[in-house]
Amino acid sequence: MLAVRCALALLLAVASLRAAEPPLTVAYSDWPGWTAWEIAIQKGWFKEAGVAVEFVWMEYGPSMEAFQAGKVDAVTVTNGDQLVMAAAGKASKGIVLTDYSNGNDMIVGRPGIASIKDLKGKKVGLEVGLVEHLLLLKALEANGLKESDVTIVAVPTNDTPQTLASGQVDAIGAWYPVSGQALELVPGSKPLFTSKDAPGLIYDFTVVASESLAKRKADWTKIAAVWPRIAAYLADPATRDDGIRIMAARVNVPAAKYALAMPGTFFLDLAGNHKHFARAEGLGSVYGSSAVAHAFNLANKVYDKPLKVEDFIDPSFLPAAPK
Amino acid sequence: MVRSAWRVGGDPPARLSGVLWLGAFLLPLAAWCALSYLPWLWHPQVLIAEPGDSSFSAGMRIERAAFAAAVAEAARQGQRPPQGGRVNPVFLPAPHEVARALWTGFTTPPLRRGDPWLHQSLGHSITVIAWGFLISALVGVPLGVLCGSVPALSRLVEPFVDFIRYMPAPAFGALCVAVLGINDAPKVAIIVVGTFFQMVLVVANTTRQLDRGLVEAAQTLGASDKRLLTRVIVPGILPNLYTDMRILLGWAWTYLIVAELIGASSGISWYINQQGKYRAYDNVFAGIILIGLIGLVTDLVLGWIGRFLFPWSGQQVSRASALAFAAVTLPLRLPWLLLRLARRYDPKAARPQEPDHA
Amino acid sequence: MPEAPSDPVAERFRRIAARPVVLDVRALGMSFRGAGGKTVQALHDVSFQVRRREFLTVVGASGCGKSTLVRILAGLAHHTAGEVLLDGRPVTGPGPDRGMVFQGYTLFPWLTVVRNVMFGLEMGDMGRDQARSEALLWLDLVGLASKAEAWPHQLSGGQRQRVAIARALAARPRILLMDEPFGALDPQTRATLQEHLLQIWQQVDVTVVFITHDIDEAVWLADRVLVLQPPDQDHPGGWLAEAVEVPLPVPRTRAMHDLPAYRAVRERIERLIRPPRPPAAERLPVFKMTAAGDEVL
Repeated sequence: MLAVRCALALLLAVASLRAAEPPLTVAYSDWPGWTAWEIAIQKGWFKEAGVAVEFVWMEYGPSMEAFQAGKVDAVTVTNGDQLVMAAAGKASKGIVLTDYSNGNDMIVGRPGIASIKDLKGKKVGLEVGLVEHLLLLKALEANGLKESDVTIVAVPTNDTPQTLASGQVDAIGAWYPVSGQALELVPGSKPLFTSKDAPGLIYDFTVVASESLAKRKADWTKIAAVWPRIAAYLADPATRDDGIRIMAARVNVPAAKYALAMPGTFFLDLAGNHKHFARAEGLGSVYGSSAVAHAFNLANKVYDKPLKVEDFIDPSFLPAAPK
Repeated sequence: MVRSAWRVGGDPPARLSGVLWLGAFLLPLAAWCALSYLPWLWHPQVLIAEPGDSSFSAGMRIERAAFAAAVAEAARQGQRPPQGGRVNPVFLPAPHEVARALWTGFTTPPLRRGDPWLHQSLGHSITVIAWGFLISALVGVPLGVLCGSVPALSRLVEPFVDFIRYMPAPAFGALCVAVLGINDAPKVAIIVVGTFFQMVLVVANTTRQLDRGLVEAAQTLGASDKRLLTRVIVPGILPNLYTDMRILLGWAWTYLIVAELIGASSGISWYINQQGKYRAYDNVFAGIILIGLIGLVTDLVLGWIGRFLFPWSGQQVSRASALAFAAVTLPLRLPWLLLRLARRYDPKAARPQEPDHA
Repeated sequence: MPEAPSDPVAERFRRIAARPVVLDVRALGMSFRGAGGKTVQALHDVSFQVRRREFLTVVGASGCGKSTLVRILAGLAHHTAGEVLLDGRPVTGPGPDRGMVFQGYTLFPWLTVVRNVMFGLEMGDMGRDQARSEALLWLDLVGLASKAEAWPHQLSGGQRQRVAIARALAARPRILLMDEPFGALDPQTRATLQEHLLQIWQQVDVTVVFITHDIDEAVWLADRVLVLQPPDQDHPGGWLAEAVEVPLPVPRTRAMHDLPAYRAVRERIERLIRPPRPPAAERLPVFKMTAAGDEVL
């Protein structure tokens, strides 16, 4: 009896070893470009592509923690934050560009401040070392100013609307929906500079752990091939509303409300991916953008490890560029 | 009579006590209603209905002073003034909005296929709490009792426990995920980390407060250390231990809010968090009130059960209550009753009857 | 002896003296580290013997160490000098050979009255059924068989102490230690319990050491009264001033309070504990407690 049981247990163990590989896991969070993956999930496009993948919905911070700890195979992050994880020892490659921020991040000035040039000698409230800091530097540079021309006040992003309303600062940096809240709270305030003015400063990536890429190359190729379908679904006026409805359901808000966040995000289709994955200097290429983010991170002591940004970008999983 | 009820150490009559209990909930509700429905109370903002020639747009919320300034400015310039009504900030929804949110929360299917209904989210949260608290108690209560009973052990264990309990449990989130994965295990772990160390200290303290006379009396009656623990200390602290557990269960809920946001988002906390992000504060309030209700009901039920668990504490129990309790617990007690009956049955006493039959 | 005892009394003391020594306390001393690290001496060089079935009371002003003494005898506190021998064996910790009744109510509130009395029997590994029937006998002895299934909180203070006595005796100790057991009771209950205790003692073969601060209680109950004194110049700790034999016949009756022999012993102890002091009335200020229109002329 015991022998039979042992044999059975052994058989089961062997069987489980030989069973199909476990589904790949991707942690995704609340940003339009990433939430868009939900369309493929609901439409069953991964099954059609013949790949087992499980998307896990998380908060942005925890999703990075889970990826760093190796508990998921892939994660959706900005290209700058990918470098932060890389500096902490996580080898990964960005294989799909979902979008770049196109206005959802902004510098908002109080009434009476008409342009970035007016900020000379004034105070700006934002989270030091984070993406809006980078945006401010870009805004100053574009207007012929230097960082030393303004005084930066450290303010948590969620508190920026109240800080602006209280008059303690002359401008703030925040992303959607906090930026919208600031505009609502302070009558007469207006955006001075947004990510739309510096497209490509903030790219949004789907990033895969290097060891998973090496082991499951075919599967990741299939997953990357699904993205162009999603981008096309959102681009087609006939299906766009359905896509937004699916995304809104994922974040559990009414579709009409969710649609407000869409224009600030520029979705990248297959052609867009190939365009921005092309190696080049400047923000038109994710290589150039990551180089800028890396320099920013080093300058602000977010980390102090020199990285080769090209090690963390790999467009080879995407289908070939359309003719 | 009424006056004496409000004196220090006063004794409110039973009927007044009931009224007071209701008042405890009705008064804050009344205050909330007043704040929401009386436009001259607070309402610091103006909701723009018609922007006129101002720079505002319809649906905007404007500080009252800014609105007044804009109206005055429009009058000076001979433009159409903006129009609107006084409102509270979005983060204070009115009671009827929250009631509606509660109702729709339970009656509307989830927007996303496969997502849990609101009651399923709640159920998931309760499961996480229950596991976390159970694991915490299975280790924490025995350790606390031992620390409270054996001073040497207390000195070995309690300083470190005291040190670690100040560490914010949420800060262990990343570690919990790294060790336990992304599903429910790290959430349960956060509840455990949040309650375990408090529990050890609270239980140890409760144990120490047991009347030393009882322990000494048992010692003079020949009780060994082991029997002191099982026959005197544990039964002696049970009523207080039960109260401690009721209070600590409340602590567990406060850690749920962070626990559910690590790893895969889930449960009532994710619902509250997500609705807050999109400023659907009626839903946020609905979620918060739900947690409060669950906590209150749990505590009332546990308190009611407690009266029957410890008949020696001399609490008054009404006959109806006692009958209800007996009926509810009959299935649980049945095996125990049968066992006692079997024990009482004495074969020797039964034997003399045999010749009679023969 | 302050007064020559009558013959039956002398005869009784001779009989007691012939019995074996149950408890032998030799040069007992006890000191401990008190608040501020100062060494406090509670007892200094206390020696006495208790013979089988003797009723010994210990009386003294507060701070004389009488509670410490009985706790050492019970094994609940540890002496730092001398030794305590029970039937010739040194006492090292609490044990069922020394039953104890405390001033506070120490019945286990989670056990019914009969289960309280069974406690010591069950600790002695007696089966539950046998323990129960024995416990009921002891409850009968203290007159509380009818309360067997009651919870302790349903009993009066006097009833609780009677159950405590039954519980201590049920474990069949060699010696019953009582630490001001009636101290929290009202005078009527206290008198009843005193009589009750003596009746029990008549029927049970047990030696009693009874601590009290009440001189009347000490004298009326005892064969012998130990008078403990607080520390003074010559004695760093509480010390044994005298062991007074009570020359009264057994059984005791309330009427004996009026006997000259009783009064003499009582006065002698009173003088030891509270030496007469000159009245200090003149030094005290006088407070007028009258309201206007209410003056006493």
